[in-house]
Amino acid sequence: MATTAVGAPVPAGVRPAPRVRPASALATLARRRVALTARTPRQIAVPLLGPLLLALVAAPALDAATGGLGSQIDYAAFIDVGTISLLIPLSCIFAGLSVIVDRHGGAQRELLTAPVPRAYLVLGNLAVAGVLALLQVVVLLALAALRGADLAISASSIGWFAGATVLFILFMYGLAETLAGRIEKEEDYLGAVPAVAILPFFFAGALFPIGAMPAALTFVAKLLPLTHALALMRYALVDPAGSGLHDIWGMSDPTTEAWLSLGVVALVAAVLLALAIRSFTRAAVR
Amino acid sequence: MQTATTAAPAVAVRGLRKTYPGGVEAVRGIDFDVAAGEVFGLLGPNGAGKSTTIGMLTTTIAPTAGSAWLAGHDVIAEPLRARGVSSVVFQDPVVDRGLSVRANIELHARLWGVPAAEAHARIGELSGRLGLTALLDRPAGSTSGGERRRVEIARALVSRPSVLFLDEPTVGLDPRMRHELLDVIAGLRARAEMTVLLTTHYLDEAQRLCDRIAIMNAGEIVALDTPQALLADVGTEILELRVEGDPVNALALLRADGVAGAGAFAIGARLTLPLHDRPAAAALAAVQRSGVRPTDIGTRAPTLDDVYLQLTGDRLRDAA
Repeated sequence: MATTAVGAPVPAGVRPAPRVRPASALATLARRRVALTARTPRQIAVPLLGPLLLALVAAPALDAATGGLGSQIDYAAFIDVGTISLLIPLSCIFAGLSVIVDRHGGAQRELLTAPVPRAYLVLGNLAVAGVLALLQVVVLLALAALRGADLAISASSIGWFAGATVLFILFMYGLAETLAGRIEKEEDYLGAVPAVAILPFFFAGALFPIGAMPAALTFVAKLLPLTHALALMRYALVDPAGSGLHDIWGMSDPTTEAWLSLGVVALVAAVLLALAIRSFTRAAVR
Repeated sequence: MQTATTAAPAVAVRGLRKTYPGGVEAVRGIDFDVAAGEVFGLLGPNGAGKSTTIGMLTTTIAPTAGSAWLAGHDVIAEPLRARGVSSVVFQDPVVDRGLSVRANIELHARLWGVPAAEAHARIGELSGRLGLTALLDRPAGSTSGGERRRVEIARALVSRPSVLFLDEPTVGLDPRMRHELLDVIAGLRARAEMTVLLTTHYLDEAQRLCDRIAIMNAGEIVALDTPQALLADVGTEILELRVEGDPVNALALLRADGVAGAGAFAIGARLTLPLHDRPAAAALAAVQRSGVRPTDIGTRAPTLDDVYLQLTGDRLRDAA
């Protein structure tokens, strides 16, 4: 390990080290990411395509074909919210891809020599990825509402929905950034999409309540943070009785169940973000 | 070997070491100081440890042991402050190709805390000096290799760094672009704006630009002095001859006859004899009187390659 010695005297005439304000550094890094993202519109459009098709075409078709869930929940709206569990992972995976592109052909090496904490490079990208994902969610739900989805909007429902969605974005981006820090090649990174985005989409209850699956799979679903995020989003917009939360926790009070699921998603988000920052800084410094 | 200066150095390195996983010792404990305003060269072939040294000083490579300071800031204990007083121009092109030239430079300025008005003025000044004015609003990815390198230099300078690192700045450029870029770097030197630490395996760059040169080989500094002093060690003139048969025997014969001194060496069939103060004509005559029959013989001025050869038994050019 390198030893720390007494500081050497500063040479005469040398300018002092600049003090860069954190907000300024983060804003600069986020602006950079916005400018680069704007030049790759596929990053904005491609993650939306599948979920939009599901929400606008498949959801009402499945509702008509199956006759719904046999409850008061609008099945088409149930699926509309479920497609968010595909949209956000895809959006975050695309955002994480840009980290690999930066590493191979962009200015990451230059950024690593900047007098800002290296965690800011992750947070700057996260801010942009998060805003982009949120905008995509809003577009999806707006189009679903135009299609006729029955969404229950209130101040508290917006609060629950926003909390669940933001935490979901944080943990998905944390996962994407962690993978980008550990996987060298873009093609290998994209190979993780089925495991990260597609499989959880099916197991977390995106298209049907988790209780409809065999008991063993239902148990697995309860362990997925995505299941908790999805149940919270539905509790906010389409399932005020909290049946999805009840499938997870089995309690009588949906509000308590909602706080528990929020805690799970928040904990996973914190862990994955910390892991993402650690993965990035370790990969950045040899 | 000169390692220390009397005033506070702009760059101070003590016992710096880097061992990669697998036991590869890229840098084996080096010490040197660079005075404020000095242009200091790290010269050596690929794999000598030059870029690893730069990496440790710019905090992109974690040292295994040792210490280093930039403008008084410990690169390990105060990495942000150390990065704040320095800038790097990397060997490989490192620009955001999708952003304009101006945006690339502005990004650096903002991250290094340069106020917006000052950054704007500075970009105008630097683009004029470096011939980038017409390129400012073009995508950085559309610039040529030489233009991109000038963009990177402008970007590095916009924050007025106390220490500027140039890691093999002319590698990959065609001769004309190399020449132009060397003029640019020489211009920085002439203005005495900052301390420059330059790595290169080009001898002419090192001799032309550097106040002092550290020659690195296999992770160690094998010589450190001014170019003139390093060259003086091999004399003012070199007698070079190619022999048939065993060159080692030929060298021994020339030593026995007093033609070759302690600094003479043989690489392959070629013998290199530093003449120091001996006149070339006398040396040529002495070779003719000896039993050695060269197939080719001539004199030339010494280069840093000869210094490197004498110290390591290898050529800087061939090893590069």
